[in-house]
Amino acid sequence: MTTATFDLPVGSQKSTSAAGIAIALLLPIALVNAIGFILPVLNLARMSFNEALPGGGIADAFTVANWTGLLQDGFYIELITNSIVVSLGITLATLLVSYPIALYLHRASGAWRTFLTVLVISPLLTSAVVRTYGWIALLADQGPVANAIAAMGFQPPRMMFNTTGVVIGLTEILMPYMILSLMAGFGRLDPKVEEAARTLGATPFRTFRRVILPLTVPGIALGCLLCFVLAISSFITPKLMGGGRVFLLATEIYDQAIVTLNWPLAATLSMLVLIIFGAALAVYSRILRMIEG
Amino acid sequence: MMFARLSIAVSALTIAAVSGASAETVTLTAYSGIFQDHYTKAVIEPFMKKYPDITVQFYGMPNSAQMLGTLRAQKSSPQIDVAILDVSVAKAGTDEGLFDKVDESVSPNVKDLYPNARPEGVAGVGVTFDNLVVIYNTDQVKNAPKSWNALWDKQYEGKLIIPAVPDIQGTTFTIISNKLAGGTDYKSDVSAGIAKIGELAPGVQTWEPKPDVYAPIANGQAAMAIGWNARAQIYSGTSGGKLGVALPEEGRGFQINTINLVKNAPAGDAAKKFIDYALSPEAQAAFTSEMFYAPTNSKTVVAEDALKRTAADDMDKMIDIDWLAVAKIRDSITDQWRRRIIPLSR
Repeated sequence: MTTATFDLPVGSQKSTSAAGIAIALLLPIALVNAIGFILPVLNLARMSFNEALPGGGIADAFTVANWTGLLQDGFYIELITNSIVVSLGITLATLLVSYPIALYLHRASGAWRTFLTVLVISPLLTSAVVRTYGWIALLADQGPVANAIAAMGFQPPRMMFNTTGVVIGLTEILMPYMILSLMAGFGRLDPKVEEAARTLGATPFRTFRRVILPLTVPGIALGCLLCFVLAISSFITPKLMGGGRVFLLATEIYDQAIVTLNWPLAATLSMLVLIIFGAALAVYSRILRMIEG
Repeated sequence: MMFARLSIAVSALTIAAVSGASAETVTLTAYSGIFQDHYTKAVIEPFMKKYPDITVQFYGMPNSAQMLGTLRAQKSSPQIDVAILDVSVAKAGTDEGLFDKVDESVSPNVKDLYPNARPEGVAGVGVTFDNLVVIYNTDQVKNAPKSWNALWDKQYEGKLIIPAVPDIQGTTFTIISNKLAGGTDYKSDVSAGIAKIGELAPGVQTWEPKPDVYAPIANGQAAMAIGWNARAQIYSGTSGGKLGVALPEEGRGFQINTINLVKNAPAGDAAKKFIDYALSPEAQAAFTSEMFYAPTNSKTVVAEDALKRTAADDMDKMIDIDWLAVAKIRDSITDQWRRRIIPLSR
């Protein structure tokens, strides 16, 4: 990718040395990437074709049993669809609560904007584990939220150790990423365009739907991609807040790799997550092309 | 994150192993946390006093599976000499050729071990016995439960914690429930036990307590749970009695931790010396008094007060579990939990 920024005139004496420098500069990072990322991924791909023995053993083999087993097993099909649906739900929830904040931040200026931005980013300074425990305390059966609902005369629903808890926890944890992505993508949103829409008689809602929303699509797409990828690969929050009822891809990979010791199955699931990432990226670039095209 | 921490620990360990390469450092891996604290105090420190030229480094890991993963990764150049891990995981490690056999040539104490501390097909031998018991919050449960059936009492609905499979507490509980439900041989069929746990499922608060099952019982988040006796006894003390331990009359689920000699261990004979000491009556008695794991050496003389709090006084009250047979059916048990128990709790 970086090579594209080099200007290489063909045939001249200088160009060979420039190309040499380019290669020399790229070599270290290419090597690090090859050793630190590509090799392990290939290793993982190879592992997914090994045979798992009962009790955690691994036999060197070349079998597609892990893959076919995965795609024929009702439990895993449910797990995969559940992971995708829950992650999409979390992404949508994060977008809905983050969008107004990002829009307000985009319009704010000066010290106030700086202050608010720091406020938005500050949760990232605390580990997700700590914030998850915070949510556990808040949403527990006798916690403040349940007590407040009970005080209003309603029967508090179970909000912890189920999918509700996971969605609430991850939505809050992913909000800073969404807000920052949205703000980064709001570059094209010029206040003058909004003013023009209003002076031409558009209602605030119409202005939003026809002017603001289309202009902010790049930010929305970026934020959704990032949050979806983070949601589907997060495992600490689902592990702590799911109570063992919520089966997601990432938690299942952890269980298979660390508890059951079925590394071939864990590798197969990991490759599947990579495939889902690839699909998410494809959707993202398609959306971007649609906007530009 | 856990992997990052693990890799840092592994590299630190490598450095430590290289700098202490005089072959008189024995690196032991076993459970981190309270096991590490108490084992260091009761066994490792006295050992180092007895053999001043040998240093034992304790490299703690949260569970047996992670230890096996580390041993697997180091197979070509082991950094760990001795590993204490659960018997079913030790069997997997043995099958992969990670361990050397521990027999009379390694330690004369091996001949004094109880027969079930020398499981067939496992390179290591039993170093501690533990058992699965009922634990409860003493504020919420006034009368100490006497039977496993207390868990099925409707008044504790929504206040139960059951660590689900693949955690072996869940596996052990399956076998116990199978027995309670009148199931016959768990090795061929556990469906009666699965159905019985299914009745419990709607009232289970969490299947995956963090950091462990003891904390939420001690602080009152839940009323009743299942847990390991040794740890429960310790937390019963540290929680000021908030956590109660009940040894059910139908018997307790039996678990073995084995001590294993890593193949091509860098410490050589020093590692064997340590294993010999760990199996000796004196070390066994000290650890039983310290943490209430039952001894595996039949010659061990256990102090009276510790005896009552371990499995040691009535081994016939134990529900015998053939862990090597269980290892073969573990996948099927896990499957049945996921399809027939956990969905009932949603």
